[in-house]
Order: sequence, then structure tokens, then C-alpha cells
Amino acid sequence: MARFAYHRPATVDEALGLLADLGPDAVPVAGATDVWVNLRSGKLAPRALVSLRAVPGLAGLDRSDDGLTLGACATHAAVEDDSWIAGRLPALHMACSQVGSRQVRNVGTVGGNLCNAAPSADAAVALLLYDAVCRVEGPGGGRDVPLDGFFLGPGRTALAPGEILTGIRVPVPRGRTVAGYHKLTRRKAMELPILGVGVRVTLDDGGAVSEARVALGVAGPTPVRCPGAEAALAGGPLTAERVEAAAETAAREARVRDSWRGQAWYRRHMIRVLIPRILLGC
Amino acid sequence: MDGVVVRFTVNGEAAAVRVEPDWTLLRALREGLELTGAKEGCGAGECGACTVIVDGRAVNACLFPAVEAEGAAITTIEGVAAADGSLHPLQRAFLDSGAVQCGFCTPGMVLSAKALLDRTPRPTEDEIRTALAGNLCRCTGYVQIIEAVQAAAEEMSG
Repeated sequence: MARFAYHRPATVDEALGLLADLGPDAVPVAGATDVWVNLRSGKLAPRALVSLRAVPGLAGLDRSDDGLTLGACATHAAVEDDSWIAGRLPALHMACSQVGSRQVRNVGTVGGNLCNAAPSADAAVALLLYDAVCRVEGPGGGRDVPLDGFFLGPGRTALAPGEILTGIRVPVPRGRTVAGYHKLTRRKAMELPILGVGVRVTLDDGGAVSEARVALGVAGPTPVRCPGAEAALAGGPLTAERVEAAAETAAREARVRDSWRGQAWYRRHMIRVLIPRILLGC
Repeated sequence: MDGVVVRFTVNGEAAAVRVEPDWTLLRALREGLELTGAKEGCGAGECGACTVIVDGRAVNACLFPAVEAEGAAITTIEGVAAADGSLHPLQRAFLDSGAVQCGFCTPGMVLSAKALLDRTPRPTEDEIRTALAGNLCRCTGYVQIIEAVQAAAEEMSG
């Protein structure tokens, strides 16, 4: 493992200053559960790590009537252990509770999961269902980036050099809502998904679907929403026909491919299977 | 060697270890403090043999940057038994249930189980399985391990 400097700034401004001074050879790090594995394998060889763990407040969860704000360093376990989140944002709770092992969830952060930008990121699929917005701070000031536009490719995000993710705002859906996340795996723990599927349906007072979200992991180069499937669900009562049409559309639109973890035909088939199954289970 | 000194408490005692920036907590414990109970299996957070408790939470010490342990309260397997050497109920239950075979995974198993019981004194079997899912036993004595945790939980919560 190549030698590097390890910085532990105490404020966001200090972290931004370090990143500006150190340039592209510095890597921001939170829980380090991904970064450290990549350091060990040599995939990552930075001159410096800038840890966000000592910045007060970044690990917090802020709950209000409008929604949840997750500090970028909030861990998966913090979400897993939160009954408020389990009740109001169940798909996020399901996704965070199934990442790695308890040891990994105790340290690995939701913000890191997003910045790592893996196509398989469990929390990302769930957060796409809830129209999450990323708070980004950088040398030029702060900005909000909808999660829908945050992922640019495998391992690539909308973060500009020197910028860091500081928080994730997750609105609680208004109106009667069901949502779920299914992580398709060979075994129950310590697994990346063969496929991740998330669905949210919000109904208006008349029982019609006013808002629908369908999101997929490992079905393209990034976690993605499926606009066609969402359109198929929305606009009328939640009928079996609507659900089947959405599942069919999502399966057709998905950019699945063969990998050692699963084949494209299987992933496509399971999108068709899991979308109705998630809604039946809600 | 330059490095920095990290200060934390381990098994209730203050400790100071000189570490390099690329050291893990596991290396600091094993090489800096000669606490060799935590093992390195995979070195990638997959097997749990290096599990220790940091501020009440089970973590993989192989992925925990040593410098991040500054100020933390750490429990390793060496600190689980009482000061007089009498075993913790979990340790006794592991012996009584035949939950130890080669023993390499045992320290990690015990600490994952301890972190669970400290938060959830009467866990369901599912909760035990979830808490231990990140600890691999290649002798595959999982049933006895789960039975040991159940027995210890029963004893501890009376």
C-alpha cells in the first residue's frame, strides 16, 4: 500500500481548503469501507486522504415534518436503527439494512455509498424513489444537486474537483404512500445485489396514483429511475394491469448486461417479477 | 518512523500507539499493543475475524483507519472476560455449546454477539443471525454458535 497523508479536518471549510491545496491527488473519505479496500488492492493510490469523520454534525440525522436530512457521514446502521425512518421512508430503511454486514453498516456511510457511484448502490436506488437532493459544498460555494442527476457513470458523479457531498435531503411523500426495495442476492448478507429494484406509489384522495417512482440498481451504468414505468403506473387507480404494464416497461427499458454475478436475461426477467412483488408486499 | 500518536482506551485502560497514516486499527492493536486476539482473515471487511467494538459498535478493525480511533473506547476479546479471569457468559456458552472449533473466527464472533447483546439483551434468532452475518466460520459451526448466543442471552437476562 503506497504511503499517503491522512488529514482529519474539523470543519467543512477546512476540508475544502485541504482539497483545494492538495488537488486531484487527495481523496475525500468517510467510513472508508470502500476506499480502504481500494487502497489495499492498489486500485487507489492517493497522496492524501481527507477524512470527513471528525467534522461535527456531518453524521447526524435531522427529522422534520417535511422530511429527513442525512448528514453525508450518517451510517447505514444509523438509518437501520431509526424507527422514524422505518415508518416514513421504508424503502430507504430496507436498502440500508441490507448493506454488507452489521460491521460494515456501523461504519459505512450513505453519503459514501452515493459518492462511490456504484451501479449496485442499494441506498441510491431507494433515495431515487424519494426524490432525494444532494447538498454539495465546494470552493465556489454550495449547491443542490437532485440525486436523479448526481450519477454520471460507474464511479463518476456530478461532484466537481474539490467539491464534497455534505448532506442528503429526503422529502417524506405527502399522501397515502407505499414503497419498497428488493435486493436480489444469492445469499442474505455480505452481498452486492444481482439486481436492486425500488418502487414507490403515492395515492391521491380519490385513490388514483398521483406520483409513482421506479428505480433500478445494476440495470445500467448507474442507479437509474425508469420514467416509462413511472408513467405507466401514474394517473389512475393502482390496478394489476397498471402494475404489469409498469413492470414490462421497466424490463424493456433497463440497460442490463451480463456479468459474473448475473446474466442480462435473468436481470430483465426479475425486474418483471419484482416490481409486482414489491407492491404486493407493501 | 515518524507517524502520529493515537490515544484511546482499550478494555478500559488508556493506551497511546504510534501509528503510520496507512495503519489500520487492527495493526495498531496487534503490533502496537500486542493484543493479538483480533485476527486478520480477508483484510477487506468480508470475514469479520478482526471484529472489535468501537464506542459500542462492532466494526471490522481491518478497515478502520488507526488514526480514526483517537478518543474512542475499544473492546477487544482480551477485555471480555472479567479482571479476575472469570469468563463472560458468552465465552462460557461458546465453550459449553461446542461453538469453538479451530477458533480463528471466535474472537470476532464473540464481539459481534456482545455488541448485539449490549443493545438487545433478548434478541430473536433472526436478530442473532443478522448480527453475526458478517462473521464467517470456515469450520461451519454456525448452529452451535447461534445456540451459544441464545444461551448467553438467556443467562444474562435472567
